[in-house]
Amino acid sequence: MTDMERKKALLLKINKLDAYTEIQNTMGRMIAAVNFRRNEEVLSYFALNREDVSFEYADEGVFRGKEAVEAGVKYILGEENRPGEMIDLQLTTPIIEVADDCETARAVWWSPGALSVLREGEDPQAQWLWGDFAVDFIYTENQWKIWHLHYFTVIRCDYRKGWVEDTSLINRKNEPMHAMSEPSTWHNPYHPKAIRYGIPAAPYPYDTWRKEDENWMLRNDKTR
Amino acid sequence: MRVTMEDIELLDEEEFLETEKKVNQLIAVWEVKNLRGRAAIFHDDQHIGQKRKELKAMEHPSFDREGEIAFRMKPVVDSLEGNMLIHPLTTPVIEVDENCTKARATFWSIGIEGLSKFRETPMAILSLGMVPGTHVKMNGEWRILAGNWQRTTKNEFHAGWIHDMQVTNTRPPLTKEQDRNFLGRYAYMKDEVRKPVPCPPKKDTWEQFPDETDPSWQSVNLEE
Repeated sequence: MTDMERKKALLLKINKLDAYTEIQNTMGRMIAAVNFRRNEEVLSYFALNREDVSFEYADEGVFRGKEAVEAGVKYILGEENRPGEMIDLQLTTPIIEVADDCETARAVWWSPGALSVLREGEDPQAQWLWGDFAVDFIYTENQWKIWHLHYFTVIRCDYRKGWVEDTSLINRKNEPMHAMSEPSTWHNPYHPKAIRYGIPAAPYPYDTWRKEDENWMLRNDKTR
Repeated sequence: MRVTMEDIELLDEEEFLETEKKVNQLIAVWEVKNLRGRAAIFHDDQHIGQKRKELKAMEHPSFDREGEIAFRMKPVVDSLEGNMLIHPLTTPVIEVDENCTKARATFWSIGIEGLSKFRETPMAILSLGMVPGTHVKMNGEWRILAGNWQRTTKNEFHAGWIHDMQVTNTRPPLTKEQDRNFLGRYAYMKDEVRKPVPCPPKKDTWEQFPDETDPSWQSVNLEE
């Protein structure tokens, strides 16, 4: 390797490392904002300047475009933070790949979490909520932003009953879908009769964003 | 602001070499986290014989290739229905050697499982543990040379970790004693003082234990 090639390689690695840190901080701040139900702040981490910005949540569908993402975040997180409510999601197990052009990145986190959900006439219900985040990031306006975010539910259940006994919360109620959502791309939470497929899959190293790879997180081919 | 080639050009030769080494070590830490994240996904997706990206250092002279292949092909449940092994990785401590070819790591984990051995209703299991391991760079990729799951607790969810310890599921099943000598060697026991194993790799782990096949770095606290 020539001196110039080594210098270019070093430069790329430094910029990738910088992206690696920035992406984790962005995602960490976004999750803190989710946990504190600061909807406007949550949205500030999305690349709302992109027509194809998207947010997919479990079986609630895909919210695509600025207006739909804004509506989706409001719909999923609610509009007001009421006494006794709690969302507490944590980010673990990061698997992050930054493209060689440092313009986009792909990442997966596993997320253990807990909820307190209000109920009519009784104490809030303590629930487990464990899931995975698979996220595309894009470098825009000199910062890393969330481009496509997909949340996959693994378990959601009553805290005391656990994930085998209580499967009543893993699928959405049979109510009309949000008017701005498109059909979900994948929803396979844990169920005593379901099989796990290792989805979202881990991102693999890549050079630049290509449309044909946009479903990297849904692939069942684990050879890459 | 991203680092530019002009910034790199400002480094003299010694600074360049130092920076290059440090950057390569930081990239290695990132890649080991990615590697272990991928392994966690594969651990949950238990499809036997499915072609996958190789994550283990199969070509390393110390690696038991035949034993690994035999282990992978052996079913331990009749059906994957209801089975789940979610072990998020937290608390990483990773030390890379000077040449960036070897890395030792420990992670902690709080995990949830579903276990159905013979198509019976699954058991919900809560399991705490660690993932200590040694990793080597082979053919340009980081691979797992050694180290799997080290259990702290593995209890039926409702029973709690004081009163219940499930053994690792194998065929034929392990006795309690066999299990204690296997993954449960340092597991929690209500009538025992906890042993401080694994010790996260110390800063000088590669000076103290230069051989990558030497596992004694994990148990240095036992010698105190």
